[in-house]
Amino acid sequence: MPKHIASGLKYLAAVKLKDAGESHQAIAEELGVDRSTISHYLNGRNLSWNSIDVARTIVDLSPRDFLKMTEAIFDEPEQSRKIVNICRERNFEVSIGDSCIGCGLCVNACTMKAIELESLKAHADSIQCCGCQLCSDECPTNSIKILEI
Amino acid sequence: MIRNLKEVKDNNFDITRSAEEVRNLSFNDHVCLGCGICESTCPVEAITLNAIAVDARHRISNDVYFSGHEKIAQNFKDEFDVQRVSIDESKCVLCGMCSGLCPVDALVLTIDGIEAYPHYNAFSEIDDDECIYCKRCEIACPRDAIVIERVLPDRADLVTGEIDVDDEECIYCGVCEELCPAEAIVVDKETGRESIVIDKDKCVYCLVCKKSCPTNAIKAICRACNYGEYDLDPAKAAVKGNSVIDSELCVFCGWCEGVCPTDAAKHKKPFEGSIEIDDDKCQACGACVDICGCNALAFPVSSGPGSRMEHVIANNDYCVKCKACAKACPNGAITVKRTEIDHTPISSTTWKDALDAIKD
Repeated sequence: MPKHIASGLKYLAAVKLKDAGESHQAIAEELGVDRSTISHYLNGRNLSWNSIDVARTIVDLSPRDFLKMTEAIFDEPEQSRKIVNICRERNFEVSIGDSCIGCGLCVNACTMKAIELESLKAHADSIQCCGCQLCSDECPTNSIKILEI
Repeated sequence: MIRNLKEVKDNNFDITRSAEEVRNLSFNDHVCLGCGICESTCPVEAITLNAIAVDARHRISNDVYFSGHEKIAQNFKDEFDVQRVSIDESKCVLCGMCSGLCPVDALVLTIDGIEAYPHYNAFSEIDDDECIYCKRCEIACPRDAIVIERVLPDRADLVTGEIDVDDEECIYCGVCEELCPAEAIVVDKETGRESIVIDKDKCVYCLVCKKSCPTNAIKAICRACNYGEYDLDPAKAAVKGNSVIDSELCVFCGWCEGVCPTDAAKHKKPFEGSIEIDDDKCQACGACVDICGCNALAFPVSSGPGSRMEHVIANNDYCVKCKACAKACPNGAITVKRTEIDHTPISSTTWKDALDAIKD
């Protein structure tokens, strides 16, 4: 079952990349599957509609649940990071306040690798942020604010 | 969630968080001054400064007690040895602020094994070109952080002459042997086996033997007279050596520079400021003297038996303005002010605020 849902998520990602104008070859490389599979996906073959529905439901969950489900299904951080980044419909703006002490807990918490430490302060790349707020939960000084844009 | 691991060894401990980067905070109890800057700085209130005034007193009483209060010291002979600082590893977020603000690096944060955090601009050094290896700094250092290894010249190279014995005249009485302050002469007085031997390495050419010889058998050859000039080679007379400051133990108090008769020892403190004692409040308990890691506080030498202990005296030159004494003083008699802090540049606002917070 998880494999089918994974395929469903990959399907959704492939469609999104296609809409963004990516070639089959580029999509195949990005998602780590072969080109013929992508062609099958995009032609609506080899995939049960049910698993696509489940995948859609997962994408529509709250950002944190979406991330956690995806991580559980793929069990491979790099892969789940890609799927979340491609499939998520929402964008976020992260601001890290001056009260940041540079402890790095957010860096560890962020699955999306959107946060880096520099000069004793955390800096977030909003483009990478999936909005899960795991970082702000960890932050000992409540310095991270995430807003949907 | 990634949890912190704590490893305790004696009074030292390490707190580690292993994620993509490995953060490690290690505490070195014997380096800690007990200033409490870490406690007041910690943004998550994970640090507690322990009852170190009592602890410091005990430690000194085990060895030499120098505040002049043996009676009080005796009360603390019982085992009492605590970590100067405790850190709750479930609260600590390993931000390293305590490490960055610790004036003596008793707390050190490393990220992936590298000490990358800002530091005070403090140093101590001994210039070997200027050092005459007198060991004044080694003796004065309150933390035993200095080791001077010196190599003395051969004594024989510093002596201005030689003595010789005229075997014809010598009666082997042994007067010279008994008088020789350097024990350089051995006389065998046994009949038939008589001999006299002078150890030239030990002889200092004092001529006591020559003056005391009843038969004038000892000949002195003065190099100064023969050659018109002392044939001393200054290179041979030089004291050589090297000096080492243990950077872990050094607290930048400046005793080394203060006692150095040449310009060899130099230091710079992390803080500048002032220390003042309120004589009306001081009850001469000695807690400050015990806690001070710089020997900057002392009681005046007693003016005589039965005299009342006078108030403690602070030496501003050797005080590092850590404020451990002010914290330890039960009567609030000590006022320490930190007016200047020399720190490597920091751009983070919180860190700047933390540094400003320890400034008066």
